[in-house]
Amino acid sequence: MIVGLRRTEKMAGRVELLGIFQKTAAEIVEREFPNISEKTAISELGIDSLGMLEIVGSMERELKIQLPDEALAGIQTVEDLLNLVEKKSGSVGGSGA
Amino acid sequence: MSLPATAPPRVQSDTAKQARLYEMYKTFFDKAEQERRWNPFRDVPYEKINRNAPESLVVVAETFCCVESYLPDYVAKGINIVRPYFGQAWFSANWAYEESKHSVALMEYLLQSGRRSPEAMWDLQSRLMEVEWKLPFHTSRQMTVYGCFQEMATFVIYVKQEQTAKTHGDECLATIFRLNARDEIAHCRFYEDVVKVLLEEDRVGTLRDVAHVAKHFQMPGVGIVPDYDERIKVMREEGKVDRAVFLQKVFFPVLKYLEVTRQELQEAVWSEREERHTTPRSEVHPC
Repeated sequence: MIVGLRRTEKMAGRVELLGIFQKTAAEIVEREFPNISEKTAISELGIDSLGMLEIVGSMERELKIQLPDEALAGIQTVEDLLNLVEKKSGSVGGSGA
Repeated sequence: MSLPATAPPRVQSDTAKQARLYEMYKTFFDKAEQERRWNPFRDVPYEKINRNAPESLVVVAETFCCVESYLPDYVAKGINIVRPYFGQAWFSANWAYEESKHSVALMEYLLQSGRRSPEAMWDLQSRLMEVEWKLPFHTSRQMTVYGCFQEMATFVIYVKQEQTAKTHGDECLATIFRLNARDEIAHCRFYEDVVKVLLEEDRVGTLRDVAHVAKHFQMPGVGIVPDYDERIKVMREEGKVDRAVFLQKVFFPVLKYLEVTRQELQEAVWSEREERHTTPRSEVHPC
């Protein structure tokens, strides 16, 4: 895991992850999500729990990571998911800490 | 026309599958007879109804009763789809008997509590029967997978609502929910055991069906029970069944029992999608 990254690099990583989420969600739900932020609740996007798992699966494939099943039930917002992905991928040094 | 005394055996694997399904039914039925039989008129303590329980609890009971009331449709349509498989068809018959007790017990609760009049109850039953439940999936394998998720979800909701009924001091309703929950989990286990056999028979095809059913899963009352959305809102508030509960208590436990991982399921979906994209249109046959 890379530590000590500058804030700008972290932010770039988050923006990129949000972009991956938007693209993946759009492919799966077949609808665009142009105005989402990290604070958006996944249920607000009309994505149910199993749709969310499909998005998780696609993100795992793209980023070559594997998220633990037990952590997935706690995902409520886009931010929750990105935190998990970020933590697992280790590419930007943790969830904004 | 005279038939030979001994018909030639069918395909061997089909015979073996029939035998396994029958063994599973025998085990299920024997256990049910030994451990799970109950009488909705004698084993439920109607004298322990809390007549001052909040209306929300009564709505929960009524909603369960509504969903269980489509039994004629569930039986008529569900049993025919598994008709070729003795073990599964006989299970369906037994399943119907057990489910019939659920709606009877709930109806007795609603009437004996005085919270619903007989007129209101029969009016509701008539309104329910104006709409027909339709099969959500159209193969026996997909319906068996559906049975796993649906029975597990119903079990979880009953267990949660049993706690709510206890909290509101309604020992009668708590008993009904507990007895119903016990039946539901037994049904779930039977369906899961059948799916295990189906996975052995055709792992990739069955995984694709599990993924398909999970993706399109809806509880049976959606779109047919009057005021369903409002009712579900009350049930969620009372029993706290949300997205996290569904994943934790329904989806992952079913996958675990089936010894299927989320990743394996996802791979099955992707491989199917890739096949669809690479198969020339002329080779795609409607079935």
